[in-house]
Amino acid sequence: MSKLNATDIQGFVLRGYNMPFARYCFLRLGEPKRARAFLDRLLGVITTGQTWDQGKPQSTVNIAFTHKGLTALDLPIATLISFPVEFQQGMRARGGILGDTGVNSDEYWDPLWRDDDVHAWLGIHALSPNALHERFTQVQAMMEETGGAKLLDSEDAASLVIDGKVTLKEHFGYTDGFGNPDYLGVERSTQPGQGKLQDDGTWAPLATGELLLGYADEAGELPVAPIPALLAANGTFMVFRKLHQNVGTFRRFLNEWAARYGAGDDLAREKLAAKFIGRWRDGTPVELSPERPDAAIAQDPNRSTNFTYAQDAAGTRCPIGAHMRRVHPRDAFGFKGRLINRRRITRRGLPYGPFAAESEGAATPDAQTLDAEALDRQDRGVLFMVLNASISRQFEFVQQQWVNYGNDAHLGNDKDLLMGSHAEGEKYVVQGDATADNPPLVCANLPNFVELRGGEYFFLPSITALGMMAMGLVDPR
Amino acid sequence: MANQSGSVYGLTLLCPIVKDERAVPSHDLQIREYLATLPTDERSPFAAAPGTHLARLVVMDDVIYVGMPACEEHLKSKYLIFETNCDADIDAYFTGLAKAIPEQLDAVWSHCTGYPGVRDLDAFLSYMKACQLETTFFFAAVNDKSVTDTLKALQTQRAVADFIATHPVPGTVVDAATTQREFLEFMKIVEAAPTPRPGLKAGSGASRREIQTGGHNE
Repeated sequence: MSKLNATDIQGFVLRGYNMPFARYCFLRLGEPKRARAFLDRLLGVITTGQTWDQGKPQSTVNIAFTHKGLTALDLPIATLISFPVEFQQGMRARGGILGDTGVNSDEYWDPLWRDDDVHAWLGIHALSPNALHERFTQVQAMMEETGGAKLLDSEDAASLVIDGKVTLKEHFGYTDGFGNPDYLGVERSTQPGQGKLQDDGTWAPLATGELLLGYADEAGELPVAPIPALLAANGTFMVFRKLHQNVGTFRRFLNEWAARYGAGDDLAREKLAAKFIGRWRDGTPVELSPERPDAAIAQDPNRSTNFTYAQDAAGTRCPIGAHMRRVHPRDAFGFKGRLINRRRITRRGLPYGPFAAESEGAATPDAQTLDAEALDRQDRGVLFMVLNASISRQFEFVQQQWVNYGNDAHLGNDKDLLMGSHAEGEKYVVQGDATADNPPLVCANLPNFVELRGGEYFFLPSITALGMMAMGLVDPR
Repeated sequence: MANQSGSVYGLTLLCPIVKDERAVPSHDLQIREYLATLPTDERSPFAAAPGTHLARLVVMDDVIYVGMPACEEHLKSKYLIFETNCDADIDAYFTGLAKAIPEQLDAVWSHCTGYPGVRDLDAFLSYMKACQLETTFFFAAVNDKSVTDTLKALQTQRAVADFIATHPVPGTVVDAATTQREFLEFMKIVEAAPTPRPGLKAGSGASRREIQTGGHNE
């Protein structure tokens, strides 16, 4: 297939902007005529997938809609009912599938997400706080002047600054954002390990239809999409989840179990942290370097995502239940990796809240509990976004089967240590061998490291589709 | 033998549903109504039936030919599909079913053509076997262990994890010999413990039926 028409696709779909500041605005649309007028104005500033030959712009703008939002825009009923069921229902109603129970259930969500009032997500990314403010002010003026949308709430996110340096880390200290899949036709500097595994051991891009509507997917079919086809083509679905991180609980848990792991020293602690996720905290894949972090591997695009698990069936290098191995099992389930090609997701996201210095929450054992609870209460986490052609087939499957269940990995009912929605008495097994440096370990009584604070399912339309919506031209016939 | 994978038996039955235009509601709807009331957790009748790894009941109304050019075909009747992965052999399995859940079997299969009822065990066995189709695909998660062995292994796995987590008590130092002695005592308790009952715990929320998935536009 040839190159995609990047100018018709919202830029947020085709590339992670890699900008350090973001504001995600959640809008309620006004009456349809005014909402369309707002979209019409907004169209002029929407960032497309066109390459940045002149360098990065100061800021970007993108928009996506909930099913309620599309209804508020007065789209024809025949179009509205043609959307996938899970999108029509919205994320809250899918809680039973997603494992959004216990501390993750909607009764603990931010009020914004409990009211089911959100019509649109408007994402602004920027290189500086000033550029962010400028763009936000511009968009706000469009909303006010047209009366087409009201800002319900917004979430600010920013790359974590640690010791004065802007980083790619998240709050638990792991370097994030390594592997997103490659797709056919998407212009991007590809690297081995990011597409699908071929018989000869090389990697090829996934079918475009795993990301974008209107193209063949890995089954050679067009993904389920709304009508008319022109509304769907070059669009995708987005999942937004605000994930609070209990940093105090994480650090206390890591310290507690690291004291019983191997030599019980700092290296053992870092090694155990690496065994939780499948990467050392600097990003080095444990599979490639099980004994120590190796910046030369982590920084090398030809190696940082280029590995498989077939030679490590017992999980003695990368544990079978490690986060990265769960959500992207590569060849771990056999059949040369073919079982997972329709379960891939593209991730976007940035942390919110300030980074807690490592000294916090790591005080004397007596003070640890108090410190940990105080740290947990502070507002920090990640604004996690997923892009995929089918929320039910891709994101929901990964969340239900691979994060909150372990059967595919032969791990019974075990869940993902970090992301899982844990009930009482759950465990995490670190497989080991007979050497002193790599012992097995069973971490018991898993606490909830992450708590969902709300979110929603969105439709992220193409530029053409946005135009159709703005001009009232959506016609399912 | 295609029906068998290691020690696990893959059973597929296709039982014609009684075609009676005077029946109101129709027999297939009566089966559907009854199946909708059956719990899917540990209270499921198949949790009481020994040797069941997994069981699924489906009412098949008709077949639809998907493809080009379209071609219209119909089944001669509606069918009840019963699929299970169970511990072989099937004579013993059907006999176990008949003993454990006779009312439920009759409630479902009495809507099927020619079903003799469980009271006449020989007739029941030959009826069920007459409806059998060859099975070539198995539930991927079923390994080569019996239901009892699987339940016992899961119980042991969880208990050992708990033992490791609590021995030695964090903050204390215990010599290896003591830990070994405690482990051997612990293993005796685990081995003597009764086998857990199959099926998800009732009320665990894991089998929420109100969530409907799998529609054509999902």
